[in-house]
Amino acid sequence: MKTLRLMYRGEQEFDFPKMWRAALAGSALLVLVSIGSLAVRGLNLGIEFEGGTSWEVIAPGASVADAREALVGTGAAAAKIQVVGGDSIRARADLDGAEAIAEVTAALAELGDTDTTDVNVTTVGPSWGNQITEKARNALLWFFVIVAGYIAIRLEWKMAVGALVAVTHDIIVSVGIYSLFQYEVTPATVIAFLTIMGYSLYDTIVVYDKVREISGRLSGTGRYTYNEMMNLALNQVLMRSINTSITSMLPVASMLIIGSVFLGALTLQEFAVALLIGILVGSYSSIFVASSMVAFMKSREEANVAVMRKIASRGLDGEGTRSVAAEDLSLTTTTRRPTADRPRPGSAPPRPRKKKKKR
Amino acid sequence: MRRQLSFAIGVVVVAILGIVYTFAAGNEPLLGLDLQGGASVVLEPAPNPDGTPVSDEILDQAIDVIRNRIDGLGVREPEITRQGSTVLVQIPGVDDQQRAIELVGQTAELRFRPVLETMGRNELAVFQAAESILADAADPANELDPDTIAQAQAEVDRWTLTPDAAADEETVLEPSDPASADVRLRLGPSPLLIDQIANPNGRVTGEIVSGAIANFSVGLGWYVAVEMNGGSPGADDFNALANSCFGGSATCPTGRIAIEIDGRVESAPSVNSPDLGSQVQITGNFTEGEAKDLALVLRFGSLPVELIPQESRTVSSTLGSDALDAGIAAGLIGIALVSLYLLAYYRLLGVVAIASLAVSGAMLWTMIAWLGESQGLALTLAGVTGMIVSIGVSVDSNVVYFENLKEDVRGGRTVRSAVERAFPIAYSTIVKADVASLIAAGVLYFLTVGQVKGFALFLGLATVLDLVATYFFMGPVIRLMARRDAMSQRPGRYGIPAGKVAT
Repeated sequence: MKTLRLMYRGEQEFDFPKMWRAALAGSALLVLVSIGSLAVRGLNLGIEFEGGTSWEVIAPGASVADAREALVGTGAAAAKIQVVGGDSIRARADLDGAEAIAEVTAALAELGDTDTTDVNVTTVGPSWGNQITEKARNALLWFFVIVAGYIAIRLEWKMAVGALVAVTHDIIVSVGIYSLFQYEVTPATVIAFLTIMGYSLYDTIVVYDKVREISGRLSGTGRYTYNEMMNLALNQVLMRSINTSITSMLPVASMLIIGSVFLGALTLQEFAVALLIGILVGSYSSIFVASSMVAFMKSREEANVAVMRKIASRGLDGEGTRSVAAEDLSLTTTTRRPTADRPRPGSAPPRPRKKKKKR
Repeated sequence: MRRQLSFAIGVVVVAILGIVYTFAAGNEPLLGLDLQGGASVVLEPAPNPDGTPVSDEILDQAIDVIRNRIDGLGVREPEITRQGSTVLVQIPGVDDQQRAIELVGQTAELRFRPVLETMGRNELAVFQAAESILADAADPANELDPDTIAQAQAEVDRWTLTPDAAADEETVLEPSDPASADVRLRLGPSPLLIDQIANPNGRVTGEIVSGAIANFSVGLGWYVAVEMNGGSPGADDFNALANSCFGGSATCPTGRIAIEIDGRVESAPSVNSPDLGSQVQITGNFTEGEAKDLALVLRFGSLPVELIPQESRTVSSTLGSDALDAGIAAGLIGIALVSLYLLAYYRLLGVVAIASLAVSGAMLWTMIAWLGESQGLALTLAGVTGMIVSIGVSVDSNVVYFENLKEDVRGGRTVRSAVERAFPIAYSTIVKADVASLIAAGVLYFLTVGQVKGFALFLGLATVLDLVATYFFMGPVIRLMARRDAMSQRPGRYGIPAGKVAT
């Protein structure tokens, strides 16, 4: 309870660098499991990527066995059948010709006791999926290049590396979860993954901007290692991270719950699952993966190595990460503004206090 | 002070004007197929025989033909767009969606051919008997008479379907209407055109038809009136064929002309005059729908290029509207939950955050309605999701500022000075992070297709509006609030903890 109260006031002092080792080991394990699962089990790709036809019909109470029975005699007797969202049947098969497809549509409409026009039918040619996948891959590549360039210019290149490592980590783990549980990958999933990327990057940039602001002022004192400054930054952005994760997850969670209430909202549910996974992984990685990557690289810079030596020679480097002393802490808030990051003209300048009060 | 006030008022006025305009102009977001139901198909042209890609000109021609076909269906607002080298056809709310997709994808050439022989229901029994004899003959234990087998073999060979036969070969086809009296038809080669100089090896195809419409008269019922081009290719060729059929010559013993499309016989009317001129009537107990479909096929039978359907999708309108309802419900509940959380955590600052969300939401609605109305840009389920996700991102801008603010107050600043100091720092962070989002949206928009593109657009839009609402609304309002003494005196009400936690 006290920790929570301290957190609300932003006064908690967690020792993040101490947790990095364990977190990174966990992340490495997750990434390995994900890659392993991808190699062994692969992904359960939807027809949009592999070609074929899929049907979706609302059939309350119908089981996979019922659906299988309904499809006997049609070309899709060997179709892959799933019950999704509790009330819907989704079947998938690779058929040739409009008649064969229409036959299955009719059989499923009968199963759901509805009209054939109430069955969603999607047919995708085999080469089309390849094209879509290739386009997505290209987009991803360009995205990485441009974003890396942008971060390198606006922040610094070491942070660009850290951010890309964190984003890659998020994507691998999210895709890995999909592979592990064999969730079907649909265009909705791809969009959700892309959102995750954007989200994770956004989070990471907020952390980096904070640490740059702090180190811009504290590194001049020569009293603190980069890890200590990073720790301060993380503690300062922690509540933002938590609050933003919560406010982002609330709408997504309502998508998940609503999706199970409304019958036709399968896509919404699929989005929501992928997004929830992504928001959690993304928030985690910006605090633990992205920050430790940059701290690792920056700690090897000459100036920071010198500071660490100095601190070690004085025997100040005890257990854990030292927190920033109160007088230096005030330095981070009372300096007029970060020298390295002057606001653009147009943003409001601090106004000189007026002599005359309005009231 | 005055600047802050005018910013805040200005942006609220813009947002309200936007909403007023949207209602006054009757703008409504255009719903995508996945939200209102309908059919969509992506068509890709087959490359030319020499492997070169199809020219833009030909593709545009094909689009015209497709548009005509769909207009012929009487569909409301079909959308046919070129996406690079592919054609995207979207048909909202068609009753028989599968039929619409088939019609659009029908790319085969229309041919006119003489009917040599037909298989009726009775002959079908003979054919099936022959088939079962052959099946029995496969088992040598049955010891069937070789003559019987040979006869059965001949019968089966005669009536085996040859849907892929070329135009100059005899072929056995089925009618496209399974209820037709003819079970199978044997067709002679499509005749050569009379004018072989202009069209070497050209055959009688849909080219000879200049128009076809379904008509109704009391005597004939529904019939199709066909208008031929003059000369050759045109009425001359058709009449040469009609003449041979009317006389019952060896090339057309049944006296019927088959209209073949896509390896199926659409119709096989009997010829009842040796010279039909350039106006031909096709009659025969048609229903209105049959007559219109036949007219459609005659008019737009052939496309200048073969279009291969790559992705076809039909969404039922009930499922579509369910998805829309669910999206709206999820969005509203999400906003309500987020609002509650903000109020609980940030108190009065939370009120500002919610107002800021409302401002950017109002502007977003105006943009979406305007884009739908004037640019034909549809809101899809992916777009709805993008917007639901952007709620979190928009709120984040507020959270970044508020947390910076609390940090400064904790560091010993007065509330008033912290409010001034924290904004530029927070805004600079927000811009950096939002630009990264915009880069993502831009790359996705320009490099992908379909659903992902729609998502990227709405994500980008929401991000830009977030920057606007933060800079012109949320920041100024908080700074105005800080000028009142209430905020300094009772910071707790603004979610700013005062003093240290007693330890």
